[in-house]
Amino acid sequence: MEFEKIVKIIGDHLGLDDVSKVKPETSLVKDLEADSLDAVEIIMSIEDEFDVEIPDEDAEQFNNIGDILNYVKAKKE
Amino acid sequence: MFHTKLCDILNIKYPIIQGGMAWVATAELAVAVSEAGGLGIIAAGNAPAEVVLKEIKKAKKMTNKPFGVNVMLLSPFIDEVIEVVLAERVSVITTGAGNPSKYIKQFQEIGTKVIPVVPSIALAKRMEKLGADAVIVEGTEAGGHIGELTTMVLVPQIASEIKIPVIAAGGIADGRGFLAALSLGADGVQIGTMFICSTECTAHEKYKQKLLRAKDRDAIVTARVSGHPVRVLKNKFAKELMKLEEEGITKKELEEIGAGKLRLAAVDGDVDNGSVMAGQIAGMIKNIKPCKELIEGIIIEAKTRLDSLSKFC
Repeated sequence: MEFEKIVKIIGDHLGLDDVSKVKPETSLVKDLEADSLDAVEIIMSIEDEFDVEIPDEDAEQFNNIGDILNYVKAKKE
Repeated sequence: MFHTKLCDILNIKYPIIQGGMAWVATAELAVAVSEAGGLGIIAAGNAPAEVVLKEIKKAKKMTNKPFGVNVMLLSPFIDEVIEVVLAERVSVITTGAGNPSKYIKQFQEIGTKVIPVVPSIALAKRMEKLGADAVIVEGTEAGGHIGELTTMVLVPQIASEIKIPVIAAGGIADGRGFLAALSLGADGVQIGTMFICSTECTAHEKYKQKLLRAKDRDAIVTARVSGHPVRVLKNKFAKELMKLEEEGITKKELEEIGAGKLRLAAVDGDVDNGSVMAGQIAGMIKNIKPCKELIEGIIIEAKTRLDSLSKFC
């Protein structure tokens, strides 16, 4: 559920036509060619969507979408 | 005239900030701008912390007015430079080349105003949320490292989205540009290129003369392939660089070739083989004047322009 929401946010931001290939191991930067400014926008949208705070120091540690998902889940618990 | 909320926050007379130009923005220039009623900035660039400390101490001896330090977040000495700026309790810190969020809190605790340069709405909002005192919105017209969007489109969009003051930068060097920036929603401007051509600026005379000779189309963008584009004046070095880029030079090679080239031009005066960073507005700058004359000239011209515009009403 959270994963689909995150993928939708990313897809909307990056203008991806097909998000079916986006997996937890997909990297925003390496696989989806997001730049650092895209990443800021995506993180802020995820903060709004899930009502969580994601400090930049934590966001810098994310390697892939799965990391974002686990972070959000941990914060919501 | 033109007393904005930025003037109150920074305790300055005119809402004009001098750009933090590496190797160019030394204590001498910063002090001259601050003494003239603007906010002078010492650029840390890639300099080691002890060099930055020396400049700060020099500026403190020369003026009682507030001044700032610009830190380049990609500097190899960034942590030491941050420590120096904290210890010296500099009035204002401006940041470039990255996201300064992890430093904001430490500066706020000691009363230093934090003003990041932002290239997008999202980053501007993020900086406001983290407690930045203002943001510098820099358009692609600027010199040195640049973003994609123009001052004209970026300033009003960010001004509509945040409540903290917006400082417009890129393409401003006279009263008309200053007034236009305020019209777009800015509370002040940051000016770089024009201040290189000031009497007090310690940049090499040949660098200044190269700027004065620049025409409207002479400031070009290099290093796009690296992902960190840089605006410079066309010269032998820039042309060689563009040729290498066409031939498919790698990011790493580009970085190696570029290293030390700004210093070569700005300090050593080799304006053929060095990187003469300047904004698009360079073509409009025709004289070298003291900072006081430059700043007061902007304010007077803006006032005159505002009066003439009001005739249309």
